[in-house]
Amino acid sequence: MTEGKLTFGRCMVLGAAWTVLGFLVLPMVIIFPVSLTDQYYLSLPKEKLSLEHYEAFFTNEIWLSATFQSFVIATASTALAVLLGTLCAIGCWRISTRASDSVRSFMLVPIIVPTVVQALALYRFWIDLRLVDTYAGVILAHTLITIPYVVITVSASLARFDLRIEQAARNLGASISQTIRLVIVPRIMPGVLSGAIFAFTISFDEIVMVLFITSRKIYTLPKRIWNGIQDHLDPTIAAIATMLIVLTLALLLAELWLRQRRQRSNS
Amino acid sequence: MSVQPAGIESGDTAAAPAVPAFAIRNLTKMYGPVAAVDDVSLDIPQGAFLTLLGPSGSGKTTILMAIAGFIAPTSGEILREQKSITTLPPDKRNFGMVFQGYALFPHMTVEDNVWFPLRVRGVSKSQAAGRIGEALEMVQLGALAARLPTELSGGQQQRVALARALVFQPDLLLLDEPLSALDKKLRADLQWELKDLHRKLGTTFVYVTHDQEEALSMSDEIVILRDGRIEQSGDPLTLYERPATRFVADFLGKSNFLAGEVADREDGRFRYRIGGETFLQAGAASDAHVVMALRPEKLMVFNTRPDTANAMQGEIEQFNYYGANYHFKVTTSALGDVIVTVPAWRCEVEPRIGNRIWIGWEPDAAVVVADT
Repeated sequence: MTEGKLTFGRCMVLGAAWTVLGFLVLPMVIIFPVSLTDQYYLSLPKEKLSLEHYEAFFTNEIWLSATFQSFVIATASTALAVLLGTLCAIGCWRISTRASDSVRSFMLVPIIVPTVVQALALYRFWIDLRLVDTYAGVILAHTLITIPYVVITVSASLARFDLRIEQAARNLGASISQTIRLVIVPRIMPGVLSGAIFAFTISFDEIVMVLFITSRKIYTLPKRIWNGIQDHLDPTIAAIATMLIVLTLALLLAELWLRQRRQRSNS
Repeated sequence: MSVQPAGIESGDTAAAPAVPAFAIRNLTKMYGPVAAVDDVSLDIPQGAFLTLLGPSGSGKTTILMAIAGFIAPTSGEILREQKSITTLPPDKRNFGMVFQGYALFPHMTVEDNVWFPLRVRGVSKSQAAGRIGEALEMVQLGALAARLPTELSGGQQQRVALARALVFQPDLLLLDEPLSALDKKLRADLQWELKDLHRKLGTTFVYVTHDQEEALSMSDEIVILRDGRIEQSGDPLTLYERPATRFVADFLGKSNFLAGEVADREDGRFRYRIGGETFLQAGAASDAHVVMALRPEKLMVFNTRPDTANAMQGEIEQFNYYGANYHFKVTTSALGDVIVTVPAWRCEVEPRIGNRIWIGWEPDAAVVVADT
């Protein structure tokens, strides 16, 4: 990128771009000093910086239990979504007909349909299946909305995978499962991991579905935060938010790194 | 090429048994209303080097893929020792295949690629080490065992693909245009090597190509395909010297086609007329209208009227110099443009555009072909 001359128009464009960027990022950044407040309500630090709200999170049974629940649900739904999404992507790639292309497009429906609508539908359905307010119910719901991300990332890494490599494996005596295990999966691993990271992040901070299909037994972290905000403005929420932002950022950076590696191995 | 995989007998193969090792019976493959392969039957004797030759879209790759088990035939059968293997999955057939574009496993080293067919048969890497080493030696790649495929040249990748397809002693080796991605010189080298391998291992090879020179130089038997059907099959010499149809004469090597009317017949030869001239041809003509295929190298050029049975005067319209040969395009009054190939080191005529020369050929130089 060459540095152009700093004309008036260029200044305007740059200024606008940075304003938008600041508008997007600053609210997130403000959370960080708030989490270090010495007050007992959501505010900027007055007298000194304090870690008491981080301490409160790690000593409070309610917060820890919510984190644990979120973790279990995110892990289980990620595992399911990765398994099903990967198989779906491989199947569509292998069959590669107009029908399989439409299956792949159809898999994107959970991303397109508004979550509220889906949540409402699932709530109705989950009542009949007695899945409301159960781990299984939430895990299934989250699997549903995260599968598309796995299908997308795995399909992307399969797109430039030569079908003849799969044929070569079969010809050399590998069964279908050996071919998937020894030849296809190692090749698409970056795509699978990207999908897994997306699935985990989305499940971990998903709240709309959870609000609809759980009541008293299941309390995920986002739901606790939501309730916490409604009850009183506990700064622990800012501490949790800070930690979540750092965690998500780390995962997204990992995803970026994997994507670069995938592009390198494809070229 | 001195080492072979363990357990493979060297030396010449025994005479082909009465029962062909492999056979294709009435194979048809439809894609919608289009027949990619249309009622093809052929025998593949044990130890043969059989080439399926044809232009793109002639069905040669479809036949190969059906033998490998990747394409389910619409009808017809593929037989091994007279037993149908038509529905056997590809991994149960024990056929090696070398793909166009190599199809090496990009995440595995050369060594692991060659180990793969043994690995899926339950042989550990330490058990397989000897055979992997021998297979790599066989294709002269022993020193590159630890490299990844992307670190190899095209020719080296092709050799890895060969070693991988042969290390498990397949009953049949299928080769799908294996040399098409290589440059001309390397292609010639690998042709020698492939032929050598075939002779040493005695494995049956089925080779697909659209390159007629490759087919002529390597095969025991060539099957020429056209629009999903067998046009003609036979050994290279027969096909080149006695093409049955205009298509074969044109596709396998180059030919000038002389279309004329039969003037009179004698025993074992006849005369025909083209544009007011009469020529003599050996053989028999069944119809009044005949087409002869005349190879460019069987024509000769002269400065004066030659005493060959057939002669025509013409003018050099264009010529190409290839070092070994001159290719002349000679325009004649009766025959139109005729291509003549002459060894350059003893070319009698002056290669100059506009030069008026004579061309001559004997009655047995041309062959009568069916006009299809």
